[in-house]
Amino acid sequence: MKTKNLLSRLTRFLDADTKTQQKEIKSIRELLKKLKQKERDLKEKLDKRPDREDADDIRIKLDVIYAQRLKGLDRVKQLKEECKGKDKE
Amino acid sequence: MLRRFVLPLVLLVLAYGFWASSEFKEVAAGVALFLFGMMCLEEGFKAFTGGTLEVLLRKSTDRLWKSLAFGIGSTALMQSSTLVSLVTISFVSAEMITLAGGIGIIIGANLGTTTGAWLIAGLGLRIDIGGYAMPMLVFGVIFMLQKSKSLKGVGYLLLGVGFLFLGIHFMKEGFEALQQGFDLSAFAVSGYAGVLLFTLIGMLITVIMQSSHATLLVILTALAAGQVSYENALALAIGANLGSAITTALGGMAANLGGKRLAFAHLGFNLMTAAVGILFINQLAWLVDHVAALIGIAEQDHMLKLALFHTLFNLVGVLLILPVVKQFEQLLMHYVTFTPSGSEKPLYLYPDALDTPSTAVAAVRKEVEHLFDNAWGLLAHGLSLRRSVIDSEDSLSEAVKYTRRIMSLDVDDLYEQKIKSLHSDIVSFIGEAQSRETTQVSSEELYRLRQASRDIVEAIKAMKHLHKNLSRYGMSPNPAIRERYDSMRLVVARLLRELRQLRKAEPEDVTNLSLDALRVSLQKSSRSLMDEIDEMIRHRRFTASVATSIMNDEAYAHDVCQNLIDAAQVLFSSATSNVDDLLSLDEHEIQSMASAVQPDKQPQDQSGESRS
Repeated sequence: MKTKNLLSRLTRFLDADTKTQQKEIKSIRELLKKLKQKERDLKEKLDKRPDREDADDIRIKLDVIYAQRLKGLDRVKQLKEECKGKDKE
Repeated sequence: MLRRFVLPLVLLVLAYGFWASSEFKEVAAGVALFLFGMMCLEEGFKAFTGGTLEVLLRKSTDRLWKSLAFGIGSTALMQSSTLVSLVTISFVSAEMITLAGGIGIIIGANLGTTTGAWLIAGLGLRIDIGGYAMPMLVFGVIFMLQKSKSLKGVGYLLLGVGFLFLGIHFMKEGFEALQQGFDLSAFAVSGYAGVLLFTLIGMLITVIMQSSHATLLVILTALAAGQVSYENALALAIGANLGSAITTALGGMAANLGGKRLAFAHLGFNLMTAAVGILFINQLAWLVDHVAALIGIAEQDHMLKLALFHTLFNLVGVLLILPVVKQFEQLLMHYVTFTPSGSEKPLYLYPDALDTPSTAVAAVRKEVEHLFDNAWGLLAHGLSLRRSVIDSEDSLSEAVKYTRRIMSLDVDDLYEQKIKSLHSDIVSFIGEAQSRETTQVSSEELYRLRQASRDIVEAIKAMKHLHKNLSRYGMSPNPAIRERYDSMRLVVARLLRELRQLRKAEPEDVTNLSLDALRVSLQKSSRSLMDEIDEMIRHRRFTASVATSIMNDEAYAHDVCQNLIDAAQVLFSSATSNVDDLLSLDEHEIQSMASAVQPDKQPQDQSGESRS
């Protein structure tokens, strides 16, 4: 009886951790979507007038968004792998 | 609203006066020189702050009796209570002596000035004040041109006293015709009405001539010529005393809070003395008669008796105020609390906001945003660009390129008015909030906001230095120098535009992450400018000293931007800031991005999202 209770508590704890991780994945995906939208807007601006005064600034912004999205995707990948590892256990 | 009309009105009246009367021109020039001398004196004394003079002055004024003796001695020596009072206001303004010490000197000066009447009445001596001014001005300029801080200080002091003397001289000259036209016997009135009338006349003459000493000279001459009765001459002397306080009060208007308090102290003390003098004029006259008989002054020697009256009634004032000097000082500290006219007031920091930790945080956040907006405007003007230009879609590079002049801006003054006072209020409010019941989250948030407020202050301080050299080199005829300063202005102006847009953006619009791009952009611009400077030095397009100035100014421009971005990081952070932090770039990533161009490729989405 005691072992059964302990196992039940452990499952609930592990589930909670998975939930937090999935919540984080969701938040990052939302943020990635926003970044993607911003990237599109900036590219559109640059395509319309490639010789605009702030073209260099826009390119830097695009590079930074690229780097930020890369970080976000790496984090999502890491979280997903952690979730999979828990499922296998 | 009133101020908008007062200045043009004053200018018009002055212009009319200059056109209508040459005497008026001299009097007005005298007042201007007098006030300028006062400013020079303050500047001069500040050069000695922290040095031996401060120690000497503190030691001479650490006790009331010492301040009193200092006031009596210096006024007897200089023969001008106005000058001693004005110099004391400068001491107090520069915080070289305490208010209590200053009050002691002022009281002493009132007693010391009575020696003048004795000198005029007894010996008929008169100092040609204008004669002293010229050598003082010459020596003053020579000293002021020296590199040593102390010698410069001496130069300013000499210039200050010289201009004060010259101002008084000009005023006297201007009123010479008026003095000659005075026939005081025409106003002879007896009784209390006469006392009040002649007190008023004495006061007016002193205010106009800016010297009670000069007024006493007129009174004594008039008394000797029989133009004025002995009784009325006593009232005139009371008026002269009161007038000298008004002269000091005028000088005190150019000083800071300490100086203003002292000017009020002088006015208060002289008002009290004058009231006692007027109320007990008959008793004082009786006392003068008896003391005069005791010390051997002839009964008909009205001139010496007037000098005695002058001394006695001032002595009565001193004896009345001495026991309550401390209370008098406290009264002044409590009631005379000026704030600079243009000083910015907090908009959101109300005591009610301290009730809960969250309202305190919200209020501080709004106030720091207010500070940020003030700083934004000041920085735009510091770059000599209009706020509307930065706020628009217009080309910033063209606005910078076609700037015809650097805006003359007193950044120090604006910093005091619009930034420092607000920052002090924010810091004090946060201190109050933290002393109450608070949560850890609120406490951390308040700490971050205080840091943001400090970052804004640091940005303005950097602009103070940058603006100084911008005024010097910003419009340089050497295109190589001008272009470098234009580059700096452009970097800061672009950042200001970006921050404005981020400030207007919705909170969920990933503003926090956008700041990373600004950091990379700033690093890139900084590197590029330094490369350009190296290139220019190699090709000898400007001297090493100019290159050093440009490098220093580049560092200031960088500081302005860096501090603003840091402040914006706190102010513009959204509710999803935890996730933002995961994605935002660290210092190493920013540096590597600034030094290398990123390859134009798209990441492959591992989570099912396209990276294209």
